[in-house]
Amino acid sequence: MSSRFRLFDRTAVMGSGYIFAMVNRMQMLYYVLILPKHLVHPYMMAGILGVGVLSQINLLILGKYLTSNYFVLGYRGFVQLFSEKMVRFFAFLGIFFILIKVIVTTLGYVEIVHQFMFPSMKTSWLIFVLMASGFYIASQGMEKTIRLSIISFLATIWVILVYIPYFLPPISQTHHLYPLVPGEVSLHSWYGLLMVWSALSGPEYIVCLGPWIGPKEKILRGMSIGNALSVFEYLVLFVACLLYYGSPYLQKISFPVVNMIRYLQSPVFERVDLILISLNMIYFLYLIALFLLCLYGAIRIVAGRINIKTNRKGFLGSVAAVFICMLIINGWYWREGEELNLWVTLQLWLGAITYLLVPSVLAVAIKWKRGQS
Amino acid sequence: MKTLLSILCILLVFSGCSSPYVENNTVEEIAPVTFWSLNQGEGGKFKITTLVPPVTDEKKRLFTLNVDLLKQGKKEFNLKFYRELKNGQLRMLIINEKLAKKEIISLIDTILSDPDVSPRLFLVLVRGSFEDFLEEERKVQKNLDYYLYRMFRHYERRNQGEMSIVNLHEFMEKVYSPYSDPVLPIFKADKDNFTYEGTALFNENKYVGLFNKREDQMFQLIANDHYLKNLPIPHLNVSLGQVRSKVHMQVDDQFKTLNIHVKLKGRIDEYRGHRNILDRSEMNRMTHDIESYLQRETAGLVKETQRLKIEPLEVGAHTLSPLVHPMTRREWLDHYEKMKVHVKYSVKIEPLSL
Repeated sequence: MSSRFRLFDRTAVMGSGYIFAMVNRMQMLYYVLILPKHLVHPYMMAGILGVGVLSQINLLILGKYLTSNYFVLGYRGFVQLFSEKMVRFFAFLGIFFILIKVIVTTLGYVEIVHQFMFPSMKTSWLIFVLMASGFYIASQGMEKTIRLSIISFLATIWVILVYIPYFLPPISQTHHLYPLVPGEVSLHSWYGLLMVWSALSGPEYIVCLGPWIGPKEKILRGMSIGNALSVFEYLVLFVACLLYYGSPYLQKISFPVVNMIRYLQSPVFERVDLILISLNMIYFLYLIALFLLCLYGAIRIVAGRINIKTNRKGFLGSVAAVFICMLIINGWYWREGEELNLWVTLQLWLGAITYLLVPSVLAVAIKWKRGQS
Repeated sequence: MKTLLSILCILLVFSGCSSPYVENNTVEEIAPVTFWSLNQGEGGKFKITTLVPPVTDEKKRLFTLNVDLLKQGKKEFNLKFYRELKNGQLRMLIINEKLAKKEIISLIDTILSDPDVSPRLFLVLVRGSFEDFLEEERKVQKNLDYYLYRMFRHYERRNQGEMSIVNLHEFMEKVYSPYSDPVLPIFKADKDNFTYEGTALFNENKYVGLFNKREDQMFQLIANDHYLKNLPIPHLNVSLGQVRSKVHMQVDDQFKTLNIHVKLKGRIDEYRGHRNILDRSEMNRMTHDIESYLQRETAGLVKETQRLKIEPLEVGAHTLSPLVHPMTRREWLDHYEKMKVHVKYSVKIEPLSL
């Protein structure tokens, strides 16, 4: 039975469309929903643009590795670039990074569902449903999971049109956008910028997907368009929030984006927010599945079982471990209602650090290797 | 494989033995009320009143509860009635004026934090006893609550200047916004009638006064809707219809004077005076009279807000610009209080024609 269970097979190479969709959805994950509350001031619009440009530069650096021959080789490329011991060490670190990312994303989403959709439901059930569906998608294999990126993109990108009414007169108040110049730049503003940077993180995990995506000339283009679209979406969301709430009120709202959608009313279905929250699940699930696969890969590398065939037991075991971690954190350490709790803050910093370091470390390693040979 | 699955199942069983989903929304078993009416009760308690809508073929029932906490009302209700109360269809919150004077923000916060309640919930103040009105009227009008809701919705949708209609979100946004103060519609209720009285004024979240029906017209014209379907001026024996206004507010650099220039366009609906308004010069004189009347009224309205030191007219918002850092609310209001006000109207009237 387990001989047919192949997670990391490769039969085709996915083009720039998939990369674009993947990068964009990765950057729209969770943090964007709480971001406006921490940006607050209208001049942070420029902040979003600025960080967006920095992110683009970062992607250019990442492109150095993605266009090299090491990338296509996947694991073997890493081994050529570093030593096997180093790769195992990096994979070991990666386990924690991915684990925290999956946990924070899932729990954050579960918290929103719990607060707005099923206030009386036990959160562990919601986590179970998410993890079970994530496991199902992931068990279809890496290739099919990556293919899902376009579907999840198309299924959710139109949501941006929903925000149009917030830019039109009865709801929007233009004077909420003033002043556009900062009065005094406080620590809070810098923290907001860090948050934007961290929210834009995610594309660095593409380095794990070497064998499946290409051709290498088109990777960077896909990523750049994805990044630009994300920055645009951030701006739309932030400006909509500002026009709708105004800065002083925006500070008081825990989930500004979700709360804002509650104001919409359609004649057919009154609670539009419920539909949109559920829709978000499509790409949350897709990314959870993708990260679970990366996590499993990393565990295999660390355990030195990279050449042994994948089997269902091992994968299920690692997913179950993630699930148990999640239950423990949710039960004891996750403080609901406080949207920047310990774990979200931790992921905020970890995301920012990985996004900053992964591309440059790889670029330096390639340079160093070239100098050596 | 099987062992792992069973471990998972065991985990879930341990994590909770109760049913995962305890909400029960079977229509025959719930009471989706559409409004809460809040009043002062005895001994510092609230009096909560609501009409239970019929789900099957039955009569509407009026419930009045005395509670300490707003949400306690829901519980008391459930203990008393055979259906469970649900807030998902809540459309109106009707607050008695006396209660509003004491506290309003804690009440609204409670409602706001309930994810079942839409932020489009209408807020209304009532002078007199809404309970008495309900008691009498429901005998005559079967779907009273629904029609009330439709009325608010009707006037909200096109902003036609009949009433100030305010929902939960608009109210809260203005409470927090430094350069504007919220308003609410205020109605007078007694046994027989439920009548629009004007606009209730708030200083941030304190209820401080109101514009009566006559002042309210000016308020609709220069701040709220910028449109009036009908503007009767009994003083001049004239009634204007389809009045549209365009307001320019300008504050000078030293914050000493406020110039309000209102361009008004409308038509004469009715005239019962002695002038021959078909004659051009007579018509001009008439227009001039209307202008000076409106100027007087509007200046009075602005003076009232200056006296109360509140900003329902959002004059401060006109001083904001993209490049200047705004002053605090208190600084602005100190300036505003002492400002000289010049109001100018340019009225353009389409002549009475057949």
